[in-house]
Amino acid sequence: MHKRNEKLGWLFASPYLIYTLIFFLFPLLWAVYLAFTNWNTIAPEYDFVGLENFFSALSSETVKAAFFVTYKFMIMFVPIVIIGSLLLAFLIHSLPRFKGLFSVGFFLPYLASGVATAIVVNGVLSYNSPFNEQLRNFGLDIDWLGSPILAPLIIALMMAWKFVGYYALLFLSGLESIPKEIYEAAAIDGAVGWKRFWHVTIPMLYPSFYTVTILAVGLMFGIFTEPYVLTGGGPEYSTHTWQLEIYNQAFEKLNAGYGTAVAIINSIVTFVSIYIFKKLLEKWGAKHGWE
Amino acid sequence: MGGNKKKIKTFFLYLLAFAVLFLMVFPYLYMVLSSLAPWDEVDKRIIPTELSLRSYEWLFGGGENILPRPWLRAFFNSIFVTLTSTILMMVTAILVGYSITKLRFKGSNFINNVILFQMFYPAVILLIPLFLIIRSLGMYDTYWAMILPKAVSLWAIFMYTNFFRSIPNEMIEAAKIDGAGQIKIITKIVIPMSKSITTIIFLFLFMERWVELLWDMLVVKDENMLTLNVLLAQMFGPYGGYPGPMYAASVLLTLPILILFILFSKNFKKGMDFVLK
Repeated sequence: MHKRNEKLGWLFASPYLIYTLIFFLFPLLWAVYLAFTNWNTIAPEYDFVGLENFFSALSSETVKAAFFVTYKFMIMFVPIVIIGSLLLAFLIHSLPRFKGLFSVGFFLPYLASGVATAIVVNGVLSYNSPFNEQLRNFGLDIDWLGSPILAPLIIALMMAWKFVGYYALLFLSGLESIPKEIYEAAAIDGAVGWKRFWHVTIPMLYPSFYTVTILAVGLMFGIFTEPYVLTGGGPEYSTHTWQLEIYNQAFEKLNAGYGTAVAIINSIVTFVSIYIFKKLLEKWGAKHGWE
Repeated sequence: MGGNKKKIKTFFLYLLAFAVLFLMVFPYLYMVLSSLAPWDEVDKRIIPTELSLRSYEWLFGGGENILPRPWLRAFFNSIFVTLTSTILMMVTAILVGYSITKLRFKGSNFINNVILFQMFYPAVILLIPLFLIIRSLGMYDTYWAMILPKAVSLWAIFMYTNFFRSIPNEMIEAAKIDGAGQIKIITKIVIPMSKSITTIIFLFLFMERWVELLWDMLVVKDENMLTLNVLLAQMFGPYGGYPGPMYAASVLLTLPILILFILFSKNFKKGMDFVLK
């Protein structure tokens, strides 16, 4: 009986295991190897260059741009999406009826392809768009996508539009799991209105804050579609993300070794950033009795 | 008095909810309306004065000196690639999830640890070597290139593993005593039980696969093999002077996924409650 399970277990897991061997383990090892070479993906010959790829990546202006652009996106996107989704969750929660309907409705932007969104945003906001010509009639001459300050903000807003309804569902499920007794106990202690909100509801939502923040921060290291289509990373590298940098290096300039080195640096930066956020959140949670 | 106040509050809450809903669907509405507008009204008015199919005709038929791009072909490429890849992701996830939770064989602990390691391993490092593997396997410019590397979803495995843990073992044992084989147990008991999370997992995998850009763009160059998302991204520049057809193509890209989602959204809240836990 148990022997049969043994065989069947491996058999059922085999598609996954074969996949993992070919599309995970093998590329993982290859990546480590590639990062120390100067292979251009085409030439039959290449050299080992040691840590040279890493050194030149660390002193590269475009890598530096990607590094700072990511945090710039984070400063804009994370607060907007957290406050926005929290408010939407409260809104859905306070509706007496049709909670499901509005949950679905607010979630719809998540289905949009970044390419289609970029086409709409470009149609409305590109410099020669009729909308901007109208604005110029009122004396407002704004080059939305050509400004190094506004272009990243627009991309951050596009992403916030896409993710706000999704994250709202995370907060909503947190809100719905707060036991009524806690509110009753808080009412006895005199915590009502804003006081209750700050001292009871928000701390009780800690698990949702934790998940949403980590997801939102992690997302910032994987931005590709929106800047690729809409701004190409410009103007002045103001929307040049890690993914664009890796794509440019590996697939436009064919520096596979160098590109892999950049990807490894990107992963380390991502890991450290998320770790710091985790520690900060855990500190905040511990203050309110969460483990 | 109190009742009235409450009614007014409820009214404003719904008003606000509808305002937000409008904001959420506005880009979709704008896209659809602009695709149906006469060309001199595209981007000039939100609601066109009359409806016109010219953008769609131009998209599929081409214009003066401009040959049409294979939009329909791209549409079917997208459907084929997304559907195949999604089904493979579901099947592999159900099989692995079932084997490590219900068969509990010697390897299950090991496999579980590998899955956890993979989930935390940054996928971006694999991008370039994956591309090189596909190329050296001779899969460049084929459907395989878009399907096989996306035939396993760690997230789906994780979700099914958690869900299968909540199915009591006694149920499986009882079915076994009745003489049911493992395949029958999976198809007749386990899958029907996981209907609502299967719907959600399918939806999430499908839509994420549908909007994939970077990978599909890397491994396919032949215009007849491109997915709709990639073709649209590539035509963004060249079709800059033809906003109407670009909106029509955006509708072609967006509408199927919206319809699919709305059709399946009946169990959405219930399934999401599990997925988000």
